[in-house]
Amino acid sequence: MPAFLEIRDLVKVYPRGARALDSISLDIRKGEFVVLIGLSGSGKSTLLRCINRLVEPTSGRVIFEGTDVTLVNGRDLRQIRRRIGMIFQQFNLVRRSSVFANVLAGRLGYRSSWRTVASRPSREDVALAFENLERVGILEKAYARADALSGGQQQRVGIARALMQQPQLMLADEPVASLDPATSHSVMKYLEEINKTDGITVICSLHFLSLARRYATRVIALKDGKVAFDGKPADIDEERFKEIYGQEAIEVEIGPERSRPQPLSATEAALLALAQDTDVGRVSDR
Amino acid sequence: MAEYFVARGLPVPPELRRTPLTDWRRWSLIGATLAILYIGVRLLDIDLSRANPEYAGTRIISLLQWDLRILTPQNEFETFWDTAGGLMIITIFLGVVATAISIVFALPLAFLGARNIMTGNPVAAAIYGVARVLFTVMRSIDVLIVVIIFSVIFGLGSAAGVFGLAFHNIGVLGKLYSEAIEGIDPGPPEAITATGATRFQVVWAAVLPQIVNPFISFSIYRLDANVRLAPVLGFVGGGGIGQYLFQTINLFQYNKAGLIIFLIVITVAAMDFASAQIRKRLV
Repeated sequence: MPAFLEIRDLVKVYPRGARALDSISLDIRKGEFVVLIGLSGSGKSTLLRCINRLVEPTSGRVIFEGTDVTLVNGRDLRQIRRRIGMIFQQFNLVRRSSVFANVLAGRLGYRSSWRTVASRPSREDVALAFENLERVGILEKAYARADALSGGQQQRVGIARALMQQPQLMLADEPVASLDPATSHSVMKYLEEINKTDGITVICSLHFLSLARRYATRVIALKDGKVAFDGKPADIDEERFKEIYGQEAIEVEIGPERSRPQPLSATEAALLALAQDTDVGRVSDR
Repeated sequence: MAEYFVARGLPVPPELRRTPLTDWRRWSLIGATLAILYIGVRLLDIDLSRANPEYAGTRIISLLQWDLRILTPQNEFETFWDTAGGLMIITIFLGVVATAISIVFALPLAFLGARNIMTGNPVAAAIYGVARVLFTVMRSIDVLIVVIIFSVIFGLGSAAGVFGLAFHNIGVLGKLYSEAIEGIDPGPPEAITATGATRFQVVWAAVLPQIVNPFISFSIYRLDANVRLAPVLGFVGGGGIGQYLFQTINLFQYNKAGLIIFLIVITVAAMDFASAQIRKRLV
């Protein structure tokens, strides 16, 4: 039986000569929660982007459900991309647009260019958008501007947008690297939920091994563009860890898992209120 | 002070080695600037002996003794549009129409001249290069020269003024727009590309929302500039109130010229103020 996602001898050499991926071969099975770890520059982002061809691989093959992604172009490539959701470290939302518009944009792959401009979104797409917003718990923010949301909320909008594609595979490029520990867990839990409930295969790159241990069913470590480890999270002992991250690295724990961010202290609350008080700004303008 | 660095085996910062008053580099720069200015003044042969303060005085006074008859039709053949006020309004619209034409052409061209849109294949890269060269060429010819050339094609009058002004502005707006497009956050387009959208959909959903404000801001800035330029175009055959002003000056009708200049100053100041207010609100 062919694998869900098959990566064979994947090589990416950037124009300036950097060898980001050095002959990577992997088989990903349906339903796995794969976490990619490795130092900055080890090739995690490049590997993820070669899967949906946001980055053009130099050589090698990426076979997604029997189709070689590296051979298709135009409409065929777009139809494969449509089945692969992606979320990003910087969320990549259109900051000036509403949350709802951002989520709806995840459906563009299903509409023609002409209909994007000429007609209103279909009833089904709108219903799906609200369903996904409710799923990630930000329904009440649907008409807020995307940049009015906190980082964790923006990343959840990113997840809702990717869910609009009804994907079979979800790529997550450092989804929690810009978030605090408590929010990180909340975002990771949504990924875990879609993995378990919808059976969406997840490939997620992370900086913190502790997060990988908590959420991954399989950990793949990259080092200098090669696979340095591939196995169960529990199998990464201190020796393996030093192999991946270098001799001087020490494993750090990311903060305790909390479902809600801690309440603000009185000083923080006062500072926040002052920062949000637009009248203060206006007075100083004059 | 330098001993601190010497004792620790560190390089001594140049600020400690030089004193400003004895630094030869500073003095040679000042000397070179003065020499260039001296050569310039000698070459220009600026001659003040022809100045005639008495004559100028009487003329300046007549510039302020406005001939108000030019504000109303003077015979049965003249209408409001032949008066100074009417011509001023026509001239404002000359700038407005020229701006509108240039926006229509610059908008699509700007996307062709934005590097981050025109990626992926050599054809796109070539179109990008052509668009950029086109902007540079159109921009580098001064408006007055363009209008002179266009007045040869279209004859003297508003057509030469409108099309000449528009031509120059396609270059200016094309450059400003395409730089705004190149300055967008690349994240959202990447994310929309990943959803399986077409290149057009990516521009529509992820690029356009990011450039609406800069585009409006640049357009208003150019509208302001064009309305300011429009009165001058008449001097080189571009029509509008400039042509009338040029006529009155040539006929030594300074009482009329003064009033026309006053009208132009009022218009430009009002335009300047309005444009600044609108653009401030957009940022």
